[in-house]
Amino acid sequence: MSDAERDPVLRRALDELRKLPPADVGAMRRVVNAAAAARVTPFDSDPGILTPRRGRSVRVWMVVGIAAASAFVGFALRGAWTSRSHAASTTAASGAPSTAPSIVRTAASTELDAAPVQQPFVFNNSRAHKVFVVGDFNRWDPTATPMTRSSDGELWSTVIPVVPGRHMYAFMVDDSLFTLDPNAPKTRDPDLGAEGSIIIVGRP
Amino acid sequence: MSGFPLQHPAQASGLDSRTISRAKLGDIDAFTAIVEAYHTRCIRFARAMLRNPDDAEDMVQETFVRLYRALARYEERQRFEAWLFQILGNCCRTANTAFQRHSSRTTNDEEAYERVPSIDDPAAQFDHEWSEAVRRALAEVPEYNREIFLLHYIEGFSYEEVERMTGIKQSALKMRVKRASDMLRTRLSEGHR
Repeated sequence: MSDAERDPVLRRALDELRKLPPADVGAMRRVVNAAAAARVTPFDSDPGILTPRRGRSVRVWMVVGIAAASAFVGFALRGAWTSRSHAASTTAASGAPSTAPSIVRTAASTELDAAPVQQPFVFNNSRAHKVFVVGDFNRWDPTATPMTRSSDGELWSTVIPVVPGRHMYAFMVDDSLFTLDPNAPKTRDPDLGAEGSIIIVGRP
Repeated sequence: MSGFPLQHPAQASGLDSRTISRAKLGDIDAFTAIVEAYHTRCIRFARAMLRNPDDAEDMVQETFVRLYRALARYEERQRFEAWLFQILGNCCRTANTAFQRHSSRTTNDEEAYERVPSIDDPAAQFDHEWSEAVRRALAEVPEYNREIFLLHYIEGFSYEEVERMTGIKQSALKMRVKRASDMLRTRLSEGHR
């Protein structure tokens, strides 16, 4: 018999804490509606669907995007732009300095950074009957992104638009088997605890 | 400390694995069955965990939305409700941190009593006072001990399961539960003997 069981005060407290609140059907309905509303396919018009996790890699790609856009705008305007940034030094080395206003550079880089790129996914499994790729880019929807089997039956592949940055993903095999990519690093979702494969999507 | 006999051992929900598999494929009816099976338990846990119990419904909703989005990643070797309460625990801890950070207002006992409706029946009044005393005592238990205490004694998870859920070794879990139990007993004994 445990201490808790012997102690009448604690035993009464446990009985009190175990009482369930009355079932709230309205609250349950709101939960289901909220979940259904939150789940959309990657090809819906919701612009947030392609937004990746904000992480270090995303910031790296933002810097690359800003650098590329700055160089492009600087070249187009053929101004005299001096800056300590990596982009500016690159531009200066190429002999095409810029006087582009900073707001123009920011707007151009933001659009460039947000634009999805075509990202291939390949999975090797000759025994699967169907494979879908799931990830944060399609809100882990197991029916959104089917993969196509190669003619030799070994490989499954698909190419989908994904915003540059760091993404977690996996493959859903035969509707039920959640499988990590053996060729990619993996990480544990800090919130949910489950593991996923990692891909860093960059610009070509 | 030996195991306390769990009066509600993990409180089987009656959900079969097919319901969960269907929900993983996006079947909203199957997901509805999951919500119906676990909603009240989640509300009970959230009310006991949150610094602001009035946020329990919102936090449970947030938990189920996260769960629905992540269902494809659910690995069936982990017990479903352990996974659900893992997400709920994370949500509650995050909410408590935010509440502590953003709320400078504290509720004193007088304000709390003002919200309590008057009860004429002496027996009902006694039950109500006891209920309030238990909740106040539990609220004084540190969050990191309270969560383990609730998972084990109230939600019925074994120490092995809680270890898998939290990554904390069983010896440490048992110590936390003991500390929470001792604190609860002391607080309640002071006021109700």
